[in-house]
Amino acid sequence: MITKFMTEVTAKFNPFSPCAKPARLFLTQLPPNARANGMKITSTLLPKGATEPSSVYVKFKDGQEMNFACDKTNIIGLTNECDRHSRALQKKDDLQD
Amino acid sequence: MVCGLSQAARPCVQHWAREAPSIRSWCARSAFTTASRSQYAALAIPRAAATTVEYVPSTKPPSARPVETRKTQMIRAYTSMLRSTPLILFFQHNNLTAVEWASIRRELDKALRSVPPSNGDLDIADQVKLSVLRTNMLDVALKIIEFHDAEAASASASTPRTAKGPLVHDLSAVAYDTIKNTPIPTSSAYAQIEPLLVGPLAALTIPAVSPQHLAAALSVLSPVPKKFPAPKKSKNPGYHEPTCQSALAKLFMVGGRIEGRIFDQAGVQWVGAIDGGLDGLRAQLVHLLQSAGLGVTTALEGGSKSLWLTLESRRAQLDEENGDKPNEGNQGS
Repeated sequence: MITKFMTEVTAKFNPFSPCAKPARLFLTQLPPNARANGMKITSTLLPKGATEPSSVYVKFKDGQEMNFACDKTNIIGLTNECDRHSRALQKKDDLQD
Repeated sequence: MVCGLSQAARPCVQHWAREAPSIRSWCARSAFTTASRSQYAALAIPRAAATTVEYVPSTKPPSARPVETRKTQMIRAYTSMLRSTPLILFFQHNNLTAVEWASIRRELDKALRSVPPSNGDLDIADQVKLSVLRTNMLDVALKIIEFHDAEAASASASTPRTAKGPLVHDLSAVAYDTIKNTPIPTSSAYAQIEPLLVGPLAALTIPAVSPQHLAAALSVLSPVPKKFPAPKKSKNPGYHEPTCQSALAKLFMVGGRIEGRIFDQAGVQWVGAIDGGLDGLRAQLVHLLQSAGLGVTTALEGGSKSLWLTLESRRAQLDEENGDKPNEGNQGS
């Protein structure tokens, strides 16, 4: 996953529900020095009985915001969506250089 | 060292190779009985009862999984850990570096050592460990300890036997079949913990249910203001180093398993907040029972007391109605 262009990631999930899987795996894909490089990462854990579906919020450098509800998508879908926008930003970056 | 070990293991491996055909045939036989068990259970029993393994090396009973592999030994280690450890907290770790792990373990150790030892108990601070687990192997181990009942399996006639007893250890074919074929009841502890077993997991194992130690660990690993406050910067500057802080940001608790029951973050914090540990809980219980006893006696007394009061007031009333004289006479006498 291209994480270079993300500035903010917020994940919210109830670990005891199966739909937390994409959100948790998304957090594991962020590189170890992401926070040091200025990415703002917040993870909120909901209590055990919560029925609210887990969600991931991503903000990119160009201001684009993405909101995902994880009950319908999986981790591949999540990374694909993010990568599609990241690649566009990468292209723009490469053309400017 | 490694060379020496491999040499020491060689006779065993050679032996395994010699035994391989017979074991393979045993596996095939047991697979056959497994298949037949589900369809023709009644027919299978006499044939299965005859399943005996002739020669078994004492250190290496036949197993359903290849015993030399790391994963198999992990299952053994995890089942033994889950059986012997009453308090396990599960953490998700997102790409921590080795330096960060070292710093977090150092701070944890420091916090646990500062817990005053309770009288009469061993100091468990040395045995508390934060270790990374293989999630899928933990999943299998949890299934084995929940669904594989060694005693029931050894009583069953279809279990393969040796001269030394039935083969019902954690890696046995019986255990394998059980965890594969048992439908998971929704009320079981495994069904509750199953969604947690996703992604990279680490476990904090505390070998006794000690709320003081749990509180100390929580104050380092997932501090909560006021309840489990993080160590102050003036007291413990190492905790506020960037390495340790970035490690803590990447580590979060997803749940816990305490005495076989599954708790979420709030539940674990509740256990950590029990004052005085088990002794404190016992004192609370004794107090509760005592006050309940007191309540019962007052309640039982209350009925007769109110009856007496009513009758007494009625008597006074009647005395007043009958005239003052006898009352005075009563008072006088």
